[in-house]
Amino acid sequence: MRRALANPLALSGFIIIVGIFLLAVLAPYLAPYDPNAIDVKAILLSPSSTHLMGTDALGRDVFSRMLFGAQISLLVGLVAVGIATSIGIILGAIAGYYRGWVDVVIMRMVDVMLSIPTFFLILAVIAFLSSSVVNIMVVIGLTSWMGVTRLVRAEFLSLRNREFVMASEALGASDKRLIFMHLLPNSMTPIIVSSVLGVASAVLIESGLSFLGLGVQAPQASWGNILTDGKEYIQFAWWLSLFPGLAILITVLGYNLFGEGLRDVYDPRTSAKK
Amino acid sequence: MVLLVGLLGACSQSSDTGVKTSVNYDADYAPEDGGTLIDATRGEPSGLIPMIAGESAASEVAQHIFSSLLRFDKNLEFEGQLAESWQVSPDQKIITFKLKPNLKWADGKPLTSADVLFTWKLVTDDKTRTPYGSDYKLVIKAETPDARTFRVSYAEPYAPAINSWAGLDILPKHLLEGKDINTTAFARNPVGSHYYKLEKWRPGEQITLTRNPLSSQGQAHIERLTSRFIPDEAAQFLELMANNIDAMTLSPVQYARIFPARPELQKKFALYKELGNSYTYLGFNLKRKPFDDIRVRQAINYAINKQEIIDGVLLGLGEPVASPYKPGTRWANPNLKPYAYDPAKARALLQEAGYQDRGDGILARNGKPLSFTLLTSQNKQREMSAVLIQRRLKEVGIEIHIRVLEWATFIGRFIKTSDFDMVVLGWSLALDPDQYSIWHSSQQAPGQFNFIGYNNPRVDRLLERGRMELNADKRTVIYHELAEILLEESPIVYLSAGYGLQAIHKRVKGIPDPAPPAGLGNNTHEWYIPQPLRRTEITP
Repeated sequence: MRRALANPLALSGFIIIVGIFLLAVLAPYLAPYDPNAIDVKAILLSPSSTHLMGTDALGRDVFSRMLFGAQISLLVGLVAVGIATSIGIILGAIAGYYRGWVDVVIMRMVDVMLSIPTFFLILAVIAFLSSSVVNIMVVIGLTSWMGVTRLVRAEFLSLRNREFVMASEALGASDKRLIFMHLLPNSMTPIIVSSVLGVASAVLIESGLSFLGLGVQAPQASWGNILTDGKEYIQFAWWLSLFPGLAILITVLGYNLFGEGLRDVYDPRTSAKK
Repeated sequence: MVLLVGLLGACSQSSDTGVKTSVNYDADYAPEDGGTLIDATRGEPSGLIPMIAGESAASEVAQHIFSSLLRFDKNLEFEGQLAESWQVSPDQKIITFKLKPNLKWADGKPLTSADVLFTWKLVTDDKTRTPYGSDYKLVIKAETPDARTFRVSYAEPYAPAINSWAGLDILPKHLLEGKDINTTAFARNPVGSHYYKLEKWRPGEQITLTRNPLSSQGQAHIERLTSRFIPDEAAQFLELMANNIDAMTLSPVQYARIFPARPELQKKFALYKELGNSYTYLGFNLKRKPFDDIRVRQAINYAINKQEIIDGVLLGLGEPVASPYKPGTRWANPNLKPYAYDPAKARALLQEAGYQDRGDGILARNGKPLSFTLLTSQNKQREMSAVLIQRRLKEVGIEIHIRVLEWATFIGRFIKTSDFDMVVLGWSLALDPDQYSIWHSSQQAPGQFNFIGYNNPRVDRLLERGRMELNADKRTVIYHELAEILLEESPIVYLSAGYGLQAIHKRVKGIPDPAPPAGLGNNTHEWYIPQPLRRTEITP
């Protein structure tokens, strides 16, 4: 970790992530207003000292909504990636360790899933379910495990033939011991890198869904639905588009910088190229 | 309804620079012919035969092409359009129309009573896929004693009959006989008898109409009407500011916030505000518990602050509603007032109905909490209304989950099947006060309009009497009583009636302000664009 933070890319990404994390966690203390408090006498006010980021079409304080929206973005990002990574590790480990027909079946499943554009698959699933935060997290998680599966399988395949693994096997280690004590710990780095990058794409997908009205539902705030509310007033109430847009940009940038930085540090292949 | 029309996209871009900006759009000019009016519409018509298309995008264009027997004048009284006169028999069962002399179709062929009879047969033919057939199927006999006379007979007096003949666009028999009306190419190449005829339809882009020299109604002033298809409201507004369109429908924010802040826009555009014949409401599924309990419905009505919705969502550009008719018309009962905002009374009613706080602020009875899903369509104003309702109901212990749906799904999957707890929706009404299809208990089949499941024998009887009664004063009494029962029983909560907001370029003259009862678009043939104010146009 210390090595990672010595990398300027990773460090700047890490600072952004921690900053947003703190804002989200401390939202209830930092927010000057209730994010859902409607005030029809204060509609579409521009940013000022009383409303740092102005107010929206129902007179709600945009700054407070942005803070609570950060909670949603981070929650969706982390939980969705948690689900995707867990599924990916399990399926990838099974495929890579046992090989044979199990491998073939799992990898064909991966191919099938990859052949469907993820965002449209999510749109279709959400259209059948009602859109709640829980559903969104689960659906994003269930549709983005393929990359991790391939990664884990590839790591397992290459580690499987390494001397320390074969030695352990020769000494009579069980499948369980081999997988959990040797193969998995040695595959963690690429998994972490891909998870961090996965959070960035989950944040984007949640924002996209909310922007299309299929994500987080009113009155709960999310960056995507603040942005979509602002679309109609863009020539007039720029603050409704600018702040959530910037927030999404900075967050995604933060995760990407951190993820790329980690990869540069830990992945011998990319480091070697430099 | 507004009008419009269009222009030659690229050629017009430079029109507002240089000398043009010094033009005084407020000066008076005498009416003159010529010029082009460009307007924007959100959807492209599926075809231009109104009875088949059944959509506002089509009727907005087709109203300039086709004529009916009758029309509404600016004060909403009937006047002849193709008909010179009409007579109702003493027993109210027979109506005889006399056509004007020497009527012609735009292609020069004579327009006679045979065309009217042909159109009636079409609209009542079961093979014709139209939602408008029911009014005309009540005609038991239609005949044409001579080329200028058309006579219809009803089994019983039918109050909306005259109104129905003002809504049927007469189609040319000589072009449509023997063709399949549902699929004919005529829908994209119509021939009518009104002020305008189709000049060019560029799919995905615009429709241009030009004056019909053989018009049955005389000549309009403006030479060309162009409607550009621009689905996005914000994009329409950009085009308006860029001087590429002359007219558009505004949102409350554009009308009340953007315009007042932009003096340069005020110099070029005149704003018009008129109360539409429509209202927005919160509807209950009366077949589901607990909405069968009048106390729950009334409690919800008391708990919602309607003025807050008018102020917050419509920015004050709306009126409170207490009867299912346009406020201020004879059918709206002037003695009725909306339920006052009174959360204490709402809580008392819910308590009376047996609901107790279960500890988390949500009321429940027998373990069943007052927790519902509120559906609405992707319409910014309705979504915002839903959020305001959600907050107010929470204050009295009712939990609401909002679900916003795309229009086709909302209607097809949930409304037509009555699969909902609560909905925020709107009714756009005809001018005749008959609302049989909305409230009568027989109109509850899938796809019919009484999807809330309202069933009240007293209301049924009033609706049946209302459509048989031809005396306007007696009808007024009937519909005032109907409104009183509906308000008391609260099967829906009236939210508001919003104003229709229009911006029209000041180069267009002859627009009545304020709008007459029939609306801004009633006299578009009298609008004109003085030569000095026209766009610089390159004519092909």
